Amino acid sequence: MASSSRRQSARSPFSRTLNASVSRRALVGTGAAAAGAFTLTRASASPIITFGKMAREQDAEPKSGGTLRYGLSTDPSNFEPHFSTGAASTSVKLMCYSTLLTYDHDNSLIGDLAEEFGWVDDTTYQVKIRQGVTFHDGSDLTPDDVVFSLNRIQDPETVATNASYFAEVTDIATGDDNTVNITFNKPFAAFPFILANTNSYIVSQKWIESGVDPKTTMMGTGPFVFKERVPGVSITLEKNPNYFIPELPYLDSIVYQPMPDDTSRMTALRSGSVDFVDYVPYTQMGIIEGDPNLTFASDNISGFGWIGFNHEMDIVNDQNVRQAFANGMNREKMVETAFAGYGSAITGGLIPEGMIGYSPDLEGTYTGDYEKAKSLLDTAGHNPLDIDMLSTSSYSVIQRPAEAAQAELAEANINANLELQEWLTFRQTVADGTFPVHAWGTAIDYGDPDFLWNYMHSTGSTAKWFRFADAEMDSMLEEGRFSTDESLRDEIYNEIQTRAVEIVPWIYTIRRTQGEAMANFVKGYTHIQSWVPITMREIWLDQ
Amino acid sequence: MGSFIARRLITLVVQVLLVATIVFLMLRLVPGDPARGILGETASDEQVASMRHKLGIDRPIYEQYTDWLGDTLQFDLGNSIISGRSVSGDIADRITNSLELIIISVVASLIIAIPLGTIAALRANRFTDFALSSIAMLGLSIPGFVLGTIFVLVFGLVLKVLPQAQYVSWTDDPIAHMKLLILPSATLAIGNAAVILRMMRSSMLEVLRQDYVRTARAKGLSETSVIRRHTVRNAINPVVSIVGLECSTLLGGMVIVEQIFNWPGLSSLLLSGVLSRDYPVVQGVVLIIAVLTIVINVIVDILYGVLDPRIRLS
Repeated sequence: MASSSRRQSARSPFSRTLNASVSRRALVGTGAAAAGAFTLTRASASPIITFGKMAREQDAEPKSGGTLRYGLSTDPSNFEPHFSTGAASTSVKLMCYSTLLTYDHDNSLIGDLAEEFGWVDDTTYQVKIRQGVTFHDGSDLTPDDVVFSLNRIQDPETVATNASYFAEVTDIATGDDNTVNITFNKPFAAFPFILANTNSYIVSQKWIESGVDPKTTMMGTGPFVFKERVPGVSITLEKNPNYFIPELPYLDSIVYQPMPDDTSRMTALRSGSVDFVDYVPYTQMGIIEGDPNLTFASDNISGFGWIGFNHEMDIVNDQNVRQAFANGMNREKMVETAFAGYGSAITGGLIPEGMIGYSPDLEGTYTGDYEKAKSLLDTAGHNPLDIDMLSTSSYSVIQRPAEAAQAELAEANINANLELQEWLTFRQTVADGTFPVHAWGTAIDYGDPDFLWNYMHSTGSTAKWFRFADAEMDSMLEEGRFSTDESLRDEIYNEIQTRAVEIVPWIYTIRRTQGEAMANFVKGYTHIQSWVPITMREIWLDQ
Repeated sequence: MGSFIARRLITLVVQVLLVATIVFLMLRLVPGDPARGILGETASDEQVASMRHKLGIDRPIYEQYTDWLGDTLQFDLGNSIISGRSVSGDIADRITNSLELIIISVVASLIIAIPLGTIAALRANRFTDFALSSIAMLGLSIPGFVLGTIFVLVFGLVLKVLPQAQYVSWTDDPIAHMKLLILPSATLAIGNAAVILRMMRSSMLEVLRQDYVRTARAKGLSETSVIRRHTVRNAINPVVSIVGLECSTLLGGMVIVEQIFNWPGLSSLLLSGVLSRDYPVVQGVVLIIAVLTIVINVIVDILYGVLDPRIRLS
């Protein structure tokens, strides 16, 4: 199981600006180093997502000790390790639990609990578990725990968030030499990213089977040990002295303080009441960037807004109408209107630069050609067009692009009557399909173009809300998912995006800037990908 | 008085059951599925159906209702379907915080508003009255969330005297706890004081016109005695009503203040329950708020009698 491996990572063009503490990087990246000597016989994934802004360079030796006071944008609903409970809970759970794989600073995949990992043949993925890893209760991590955890995700009884990604898994079993083999019906190139996803934590079989309620407490192999939760007040984690990366963590503890009000959270940071905050609202980004005592770490790649259609409804089932929508929005103006410039326009494909399938040729396809949009409406016989559009008032990152889209569409004779609903009502309404058009926003799930499956494959949960099905698109997405050849996949996903531009199943509009802010004395944190803040474990306080 | 309280207690049970039943049904009628909320955006319809089954919310409503009613009558409010925690435990953790904030803000507003309202009435249509009425109007006009945000910005960024962001309980550190109480109490008290001041002023003006006040003055009683014994006491009943209403409203209506000042009270628990369609939490909190509201009304009724013997006799 050694030899012709392809490294699973590639350097980000920004990597030189990152953490200069090489020894620690090397330590964190032992899995990646090992991957070089591990068999990646066919599939490899090369996620390279570039970022607009990163955390600053480190220029001092890390110091141990201290407590990080973390202003959290949402009080986590629960700690269930295999449910997605939002970004705020992720930043807490990720410090208590570990995944088999995780992300390096340049967003490439590295081992976490996996010492070595890769495809041993087309349909078998193997991970070799690190030796000597212990859970917070002192028990050893075994391959049986890994099998148990993955089975728990796959088990319909658990209703785990990532269950659908295990649909093609036929067997999960321990192998020789501390390994676990996951066998598939067909190759699944994006699977390593599922193992790095923050809903794929490895749990202790003994602990779960003891009858504990994992919604209310946590016990994993992560860098911090769960100490207590006072609902609505705080969540306290303490250093795990037996963490499998001996130098980490540097902090003695983290105290998360739920601060749902944006102004209060940002004021608490600016006045020194907390040291670190997540989810900086766009209205405060300029203030944070202009404050010499604070640092803003962000990207404008992951989060994006979209316009979805109900393909079973009249008018929008006409491709000309959907093309009119796509052409009738100037994305650059939308970024200004919605986020005061804190974001970027999507004028071609959704796959960002650096990821397999990125299509440079499609850039600039949609620049806001109102006349073309009107002409398309004429062709469809719906000029001008009055139409109902649904969005949510619960999240400004969705509402504001929706309002910006409404304003832009008006320029193209599309009068969208925007109705705003509360979040769960909105989601139910979209699922019920009672509106022809809706405006939503989310983030790219993982660093492989397979994330498009959910939106454009007829079995994808979001595609079902669109009532969208296209045999050609299905076929290409399946080919992309089950192919192991990287250059072939690149070609396939280029074709998928070209097809999407042609038939417009949905429209992606703008990417938003999102990130965290911290006091300058908080060192070691790198914003790598919005939903995987693994570098929290490397934070230290320069005080 | 005994039979009065007994009658009110019986109606309390009926009213609480009625409120709880309406809330139970309304929650299930509004769109939005807690299973979707729990599972995240990418959950398939099959997963949502499985989660609904797991939570027991796919059962017929009457079955869910009878189960819930049976448990509630045994003082078991169940567990949150989102967090898994005991609803009673969460309510117990937060109710004292809410009551503390309400009591302090209401007492503070009474201390401010009753004397100022009285002065405004006694100086009716003079500068003092205009000044006090204008201040009261300002207090009424500024929404709590604006005032709270101004306080956070001024005390946090300008004066840099904002207390620490983390809530500290009374038992852990009484001084820090008191410091944390100042700004949210002030935010609530200013709005309440404005309402009470206006009510006190108009009530006083009405009483001051009464014959018995003129008679008291004609008898040669001192102005202080007329005001204290014959005017304020008679003018205070409407204020008691307002205070009762304010307390009831604040029980579930302090959400903005709680969020701005990170105060873990009952309102924010209710809000998060509503937003995530956490049925047991919403039902439990509403039930408790209904009980407390009715209890407050009973106290207000009793206070009427204490303050005005004519009501007691009737």
